[in-house]
Amino acid sequence: MLTYYPGKTFLHRLDPTLKVLFAFTISTACFVFANIFVLLGILLFEFLLALSCGLWKWGLRSILGLLKLCALLFVIQILTYGDGDVLLRLYGDWVITFEGAEIGLILTLRITASALPLALMLRVTKPTALANSLYRYLHIPYKYAFAFGMAMRFIPIFAEEMAEIMEAQTARGVELDTRSFFKKIRLLMPLCVPLLLSSVRKIETATISAELRGFGLRKRK
Amino acid sequence: MPKNKQAALPPKMLPGEVLRFEDVRLSFGELKILQGVSFSVFAGEFVILLGENGAGKSTLLRLANGLLKPDIGAVAVCGHDTRQVKTSLIAKEVGFLFQNPDRQIFNKTIREEIEFGMKLHGIPTRPSYTEFRIPDFALDDDPFTLSRGERQRVALASVLACEPRLMLLDEPTVGLDDSEARQLMDAVKRRQRENNAAVLLITHDLELANAYADRKLLLERGRVADADILSWEDFSAQA
Repeated sequence: MLTYYPGKTFLHRLDPTLKVLFAFTISTACFVFANIFVLLGILLFEFLLALSCGLWKWGLRSILGLLKLCALLFVIQILTYGDGDVLLRLYGDWVITFEGAEIGLILTLRITASALPLALMLRVTKPTALANSLYRYLHIPYKYAFAFGMAMRFIPIFAEEMAEIMEAQTARGVELDTRSFFKKIRLLMPLCVPLLLSSVRKIETATISAELRGFGLRKRK
Repeated sequence: MPKNKQAALPPKMLPGEVLRFEDVRLSFGELKILQGVSFSVFAGEFVILLGENGAGKSTLLRLANGLLKPDIGAVAVCGHDTRQVKTSLIAKEVGFLFQNPDRQIFNKTIREEIEFGMKLHGIPTRPSYTEFRIPDFALDDDPFTLSRGERQRVALASVLACEPRLMLLDEPTVGLDDSEARQLMDAVKRRQRENNAAVLLITHDLELANAYADRKLLLERGRVADADILSWEDFSAQA
């Protein structure tokens, strides 16, 4: 989902620090505006940016995925906001109002539109280039920049490992191929142990390997 | 819903047949992994699958227990069409050992790890732990404190303990020394004979393959052929 997608488009070639600032600006704009149409416009703009990088399928999937995730927030919002004109009377004094629905929709669009630019930035930026750029232009200590780059590098590896662990447990008879989301979550909990252990081992090995090659000796000039 | 639209006709299995691949084709994007694989494995057979790295051997094993579904063709295992059933439902009859034991192990003690599958499938018998060289005093130890070879034995023990009709073993001897590898293979062979089970095992060790296999298969260019391989020269010639 967040792995680097190689390409030579304008966004790919843009300096990583500029991309970070650009992404943060768009995300901040989502929290400044509270208008559904403006937020929809921002979402459309983000989709066009993804399209320009050849990532329209990913963009569409991400928007739909985020909207699905936010659906729960939307439901909670409309069920708990009681002020304003009544849209639907549920039970007794319990009502759904126009204002509640509007705030719920704004919340949903806001979260979706603010998450997408950062995800897109990560998809069109090499983790090492991002770390180097953050160190050079924003003067972030290189240890932290390196740690950030490594974390980004490990995301797809961990995702692959989790998929393998799930396969292994399904092959043993654990019902991870169930369609029930909640059952899957419950069954997944104990499986985080092997993932955590392998993650810690990998990070420990990477740290030792980096230190053995002189990581930490360099001083800023 | 399975991706394969030919799901209407489940493949017919012969008496004693536990695994059947019928013209199986599978691609990952543009990459064609299997291009018409057909073979069978019968009860009581010890079949070893050979092939170069990246030939698709592990993918074939994943197809055999339904973790992957064929794009075209069908896989039948222990009377089930893998396109129609969930992998977790056939797990009692089909044991699967992954190359890396750490993907499989997650319980706090070795005993819990070995008995996990048994409890899941309602198998009451206690496995003979000593068969896998796990001394009784270590049964309450944390499996993650063991060496890789020992963890591999624990993972295998948990598969064999369920007494599956078909064992799918993905390079179980990787990382083990000669003696450990032979002991592990002996344990598998013994269980296979006792239960008249079938084994489909991937290895790169031709010596082991020649010593234990009833039949050797070679996966090459997306197809499987019966192979009579005795040495690496033969292997190169056939590949």
